[in-house]
Amino acid sequence: MSALLQIQNVSKTFDLPGGQALTAVDDVTFAVEKGSICVLLGPSGSGKSTILRMIAGLETQSSGAVLLNDTPIDGPGRERGMVFQAYSSFDWMSVGKNVEFGMKINGVPAAERRARAERFIGLVGLSKFIDAYPSRLSGGMRQRVAIARTLANAPDVLLMDEPFGALDAETRWQMQELMIEVAEASGTTMIIVTHDIEEAIFLADKIVFLSSHPGRLKEEILPTFKPGRLRNKEDVIALPGYAEMERKIMRMMREEGHK
Amino acid sequence: MSTASKGRKARLLQVRVPVSGRQALISALGVWIAFFGVWILASGLGWVNPILVPPPGKVFATIVRLFAEQGFGADVLISIGRVLIAFALASLVAVPLGVAMGAFPAINAVFAPFVSAWRYLPAPSFIPILLMWFGTGETPKLALLFLGVIFFLVTLIADHTREIRKELIETALTLGANRRVTVFQVMLPAVLPNILVAMRQMLAVVWTYLVIAEIVASTTGIGAMMMRARRFLKTDEILAGIIVIGALGMACDMAFALLHRRLFPYLEDKR
Repeated sequence: MSALLQIQNVSKTFDLPGGQALTAVDDVTFAVEKGSICVLLGPSGSGKSTILRMIAGLETQSSGAVLLNDTPIDGPGRERGMVFQAYSSFDWMSVGKNVEFGMKINGVPAAERRARAERFIGLVGLSKFIDAYPSRLSGGMRQRVAIARTLANAPDVLLMDEPFGALDAETRWQMQELMIEVAEASGTTMIIVTHDIEEAIFLADKIVFLSSHPGRLKEEILPTFKPGRLRNKEDVIALPGYAEMERKIMRMMREEGHK
Repeated sequence: MSTASKGRKARLLQVRVPVSGRQALISALGVWIAFFGVWILASGLGWVNPILVPPPGKVFATIVRLFAEQGFGADVLISIGRVLIAFALASLVAVPLGVAMGAFPAINAVFAPFVSAWRYLPAPSFIPILLMWFGTGETPKLALLFLGVIFFLVTLIADHTREIRKELIETALTLGANRRVTVFQVMLPAVLPNILVAMRQMLAVVWTYLVIAEIVASTTGIGAMMMRARRFLKTDEILAGIIVIGALGMACDMAFALLHRRLFPYLEDKR
């Protein structure tokens, strides 16, 4: 049985004004197992967001193949839900209606919709705000809404593009711990793009490290020093093996920076 | 005076230091009192010809008299009717077309070159030909008001639609939205507050064209009344017309502001 998601020899070239071409992603191959958390890590210019957008179907690859359940993806679809760095709340709907939106357009009956929305809003800790408008919420809370909205729509894979990049430090690690909880509770497969090394090691079952200009797969890193998923970040940082892995990845980042 | 500014010299003009509510009120009243003061003095002391510049008291008395005795209310209603009908027609075309142009580059590619060329043609330049085509009835007036705003309204709405944040559209797509759902359930509600703002701005422009239409080619309406008054040197009636038009414009603007607050309560918290 092959992996849930397969990225096979994927390249992406952008045409620049003036007739030049920019290779953002160059011959990248990796696979994501069902139920796992895969983190795409790399310096800026490593094409990690571009890879995520190709998986989402928001960009098309110049060559290679992206397969979900052995089927080539064709455009965006509900089975690949995405959470963006910038706020994406539908401001004219309450938190509850935001979370119901995906299910509503996919024909889930109202009662079931409401129940699922309540479950996922509870999971991200926003039950008190189910009838509030998103404009009343803080940045971290809005990202929780976006996560609940995507999860409630039951995607095969949750794609996140630097989802906590705009948040302050404290909210950020709370959200990281929330993602571990959510992954455990829902069993959702996740692909998370970040350039934060701590975040990558804490969240990942597998880190796909990309080099920059052009984006190439440099190394697949497995944080095997972790005994499964831990909910507290400080517990992960205290593990033997954490410091060594962080140091190794920092070196890789630095090498990329000096290129 | 706040405690923080004690020890510093109190200054009247400070860059971007907000004024108190009291100072704002005094300033606002002051400028109007000065305006009417100069007006009263100028006409009362004979600095100006009282036939050309009647005193404010007389102008306001004239407003009352016009409504009470001379059937001015009918003229006002006719003018309001023209504005509302022409503006409704323009909105009926501009909202769907503008949103479609903003949503679909293929539609924009057809209409943008056409619409932006028309924007440079001053609507009043069409008055002679409109009169020849449509005679002297209501049609040429409505056509002028329509032409005066339609191209600006379409452009504004298309721009606002184009400015909808990409994340909203891409979120909808990755939740499984098709084209229809994306346009009608995400883009349209997202742009609606800005459409209303554009309509509010353009309604003010419709009033401008209304007066032009009624002064040039009408026997009814506020503008026509003012042109009649001119013939008999009734400057008080002309000024009364100006004030009524100003008041109506302001009322429209306030109605739109109220509508905006009512329709989009979720924007309140943002400020």
